[in-house]
Amino acid sequence: MDLVAPGRSTARQLWRNIPWHILALALLIAALGVWNLASASRAAYAPIWKSQIYWLLIGLGACAGTMLLDYRYLLKLAYPIYGVVVLLLVAVLVRGHAAMGAQRWLDLGPVHLQPSELMKLAIILVVARFFHEDPHTKEGYSLLQLWLPALLLAVPVALVMKQPDLGTSMMIAAVAGSIILVAKVRWRSLLVLAAGFVASAVFAWAYLLKPYQKKRVLAFLDPEGDVLGAGYHASQSLIAVGSGQASGKGWGHGTQTQLSFLPEQHTDFVFSVWGEEHGFVGAVVLIGLYLVLLVMMLAVAASAREKFGSFLAVGVAAMVFWHVFVNIGMVTGLLPVVGVTLPLLSYGGSSVLTNMIGLGLLMNVAMRRHLF
Amino acid sequence: MPMIVGKQQGGRDLRSRILLAGALMSALMLVLAGRLYHLQITRGEEFTAKSFDNFVKETRVPADRGMMLDNRGRILVDNRPSYNVTLTPAFCQPSGAPKGYCLDEILPKLATYLSLTSDEVERVREQYRKARGLKRFRDFTVKLDVDLDALDRLEANRLELAGIDVVAAPHRHYRYGALAAHVLGYMNEVTGEELDGFEKKGIEGYVLGDYIGRRGVERRFESDLRGVDGWRKTIVDAKGRKIRGSSHLLGDLDRLTPPSSGHNLVLSLNLPLQQAAEKAFEAAAAGALVAVDVNTGFVLAMVSKPAYDPNKLTGRITRAELRAISEDPLEPLIFRVAQEHYHPGSTWKVVTALAGLKTGTHGAHNSVFCNGGYSLGRRRWRCWRDAGHGTVDLHHALKHSCDTFFYAMSDRMGIDAIAEMATELGFGRVPGLDLSPEVPGIVPSTTYHDRVTPGGYTKGLALNTSIGQGDVNVSPIQLAMAYAAIANDGTLYRPQVVRRIEDPDGKLVRALEPQVVHKLDVKPEHLALVGAGLNAVMNEPGGTAYYRRLKDVAVAGKTGTAQVVKLGSTRIKANQMTFFQRDHAWFAAYAPFEQPEVAVVVLNEHGGSGSSDAAPIAMAVVREYFRIKAEEEAARNTPPPEPAPKATPSASPPASDPLPALDSGTTREASRATKESAPWT
Repeated sequence: MDLVAPGRSTARQLWRNIPWHILALALLIAALGVWNLASASRAAYAPIWKSQIYWLLIGLGACAGTMLLDYRYLLKLAYPIYGVVVLLLVAVLVRGHAAMGAQRWLDLGPVHLQPSELMKLAIILVVARFFHEDPHTKEGYSLLQLWLPALLLAVPVALVMKQPDLGTSMMIAAVAGSIILVAKVRWRSLLVLAAGFVASAVFAWAYLLKPYQKKRVLAFLDPEGDVLGAGYHASQSLIAVGSGQASGKGWGHGTQTQLSFLPEQHTDFVFSVWGEEHGFVGAVVLIGLYLVLLVMMLAVAASAREKFGSFLAVGVAAMVFWHVFVNIGMVTGLLPVVGVTLPLLSYGGSSVLTNMIGLGLLMNVAMRRHLF
Repeated sequence: MPMIVGKQQGGRDLRSRILLAGALMSALMLVLAGRLYHLQITRGEEFTAKSFDNFVKETRVPADRGMMLDNRGRILVDNRPSYNVTLTPAFCQPSGAPKGYCLDEILPKLATYLSLTSDEVERVREQYRKARGLKRFRDFTVKLDVDLDALDRLEANRLELAGIDVVAAPHRHYRYGALAAHVLGYMNEVTGEELDGFEKKGIEGYVLGDYIGRRGVERRFESDLRGVDGWRKTIVDAKGRKIRGSSHLLGDLDRLTPPSSGHNLVLSLNLPLQQAAEKAFEAAAAGALVAVDVNTGFVLAMVSKPAYDPNKLTGRITRAELRAISEDPLEPLIFRVAQEHYHPGSTWKVVTALAGLKTGTHGAHNSVFCNGGYSLGRRRWRCWRDAGHGTVDLHHALKHSCDTFFYAMSDRMGIDAIAEMATELGFGRVPGLDLSPEVPGIVPSTTYHDRVTPGGYTKGLALNTSIGQGDVNVSPIQLAMAYAAIANDGTLYRPQVVRRIEDPDGKLVRALEPQVVHKLDVKPEHLALVGAGLNAVMNEPGGTAYYRRLKDVAVAGKTGTAQVVKLGSTRIKANQMTFFQRDHAWFAAYAPFEQPEVAVVVLNEHGGSGSSDAAPIAMAVVREYFRIKAEEEAARNTPPPEPAPKATPSASPPASDPLPALDSGTTREASRATKESAPWT
């Protein structure tokens, strides 16, 4: 059992070990997402739910592809992948495609690539690899011992911030931070981290945040204060969700949705469509589905054969979780408005691909947990 | 091939941490659920209300204004559909259209189809430029009340006119144009100041852009005519655009709160009589006519000339037309029946006569010798007949309108006796018709002259007053009510024009009863004496209006020719004077003499002489009154084969209106008529 060669497992075994329940649940959520988009896109005159299906099919392909290669190869590939994605991020800054006041896209012929999305996966790989190899588990890590993951994290976060894309850089940090926390950090270190976070937040407010980002934060603190300005998204979103009441207005009957009061209703604010049309019951059901999915993912983490797999699974679960939490928190006014998508519900190729590849990664870990 | 070395236990090592992570995730998800509970359950209704505020736009559905009917139920004023053309800048210049598409492509076409003047086009350009931001989604009016030809042209070219809409709006329709214009009144937009005033008084229901009654019945009965507006809920999107076909989003909310129509007014005016009066007045340039039921005070016909077309004044008038009206020296806007006063001339002699009888100055048989004038002190007052009338008593003095007799009478009793009788007959105070500002007229007395005349009251002023000259001033309606009081043996009524207020289904809301001002403190035999004199004017050879008498009906009347300017010692002919120097021609009459029903007063302003320029007009109206009466009586005796159709707004053009509806169901008037002496009111 010292050396494990992945090639030994048979295809039949692998097939049997695929966590079908996870895939099924993920696809169920994705199907609800398409159904929801079909309502949201009625007002926009473009049947984007169809393109969402195409993206999901492509994502399924990517997911299957990710599952083919034994994840343990990724131990070696982690740093190279990370390096490539960092280079892509630099490329975006140098000659990227600007949209909505930010440079986030890289034009690769027919495809627009959003490297910051890829970084969410790459950061999982490198951080998982770091903790896989590092033995300091029993007593927990001190801050000094964390200099390398801290650096690995700081570089992409800074690059994505610069685009500027506060939401994604926060997501990258949150995913990495979650793995670090699971990997055991001393309590003292946590306190220092918290202090550092507050300090950097103050610093960022003073020097780093763009005016529009500040406006959003202020609008979050008082969403009703500037209903037509920066608080418009937030307050319209609250109205949409709140007016759903217990059972919702019904599919296709959400007035906020159908009459275009919601901005970004296909992407970042897609949950307000769901909340308005399906009400508290529908919202809780959706959140419940996400939670069940997360528990299944964490179960994969807990049953992984070795730490790298565990950290990968934790990373994917953390990625899904933070997206869900921050997105719904933002839509319901708990958190400031940042550009974070809702996994499998938001429209968009980048988001679908990232989540499906992450899912593939996780299933990769799950299907190979017994192969020794 | 990756090698995994050492005491690897995979996830097992991390189980507690992973468990903790799971717990943390669950807790945070619970926070989200809690937040959703707060938003959707606790504050759900609040947000639902806010979402309705977002997309439900309430637009007013104006109530139909009540109609005005004549005393036989014929429609005088109703509402007709009218079509306004509007432009919505955002749809006229859609995104993607070339710059200036709306103003340079669409507007010139629109101008052709609607025959817009360059002024109108400029106004559209201005309003287009002023619309910015979300206001670009709000339409504004290009042209009001487009005619059907233009509407057809628009409809045919609908596709090339983006952002142009035709909006239907009910518009007040005065079916007979200028007929009885001053009585009916007109409407125009309520002003901002008025709205402020309404707010203070707690009057609700008006917004800027609403029309409100101005003048006449429209103004006086505004609160009855105006209904209560309804509300229609329409759905708008985030840009304020109306979204059609989205009514399912409203759920079971009421889409429409229906308006309730205003009340209809049944006037006492009689349409054919009014038409006859207007027709008879055609020859006169200016003046007033009142025909009133002597037994109730309800007005049957009323003319103030020159008039205006209320259809125009109700929001359809051009600046040039308005200027023409306001600069017209004859002042068409003035309601001459009550808003202006005139020397009554000889029609006033009934007042002097009654005063003389009351004071006992002259009995029925006292005579005066008229040698063409009357001398008082060193001055001489001329009788209108230079040759004189010889010996005249009261009867003949009225019949011939002998000035000398009344000079003598007033010389003895003084001015205050006349003033007292004038006050008794309702002169000197506002008559209360309430269709316009009203003048009280002037009843000169010693105190009056002491106050206004240099040198104070002198006896000669009584002489002037006795023949309706000097400072005496009366409005035509005052004179009509006074003659009605003489005709009905001494009851002075307040003049009224509205008989009943009905709801849109014709059910009675309120009936207006005749209002008695007071009973005259005059002996009936005195009234009879004066009446006999008035009868002689028309029906005895030599009476001043003998040639105007009617064959079938005995009409009592009095001519009047009131001097407007003080003339020199030699008389000049009317055609030698300018219009405004000419005499006012008056005629006041009532009929039938034996059992009076109707009193008619005509003032032909600067028209010349009473007998030739006012009496024919009045007699035409009297004649028409009895013709209509006979016709209605004939119709009553032979019931029409089918019930006359009930009047509906604009259902039929005026020309095909049914004859006075006299069958049982629809003739509210006819059934009453049998019980009343006068069949009309």
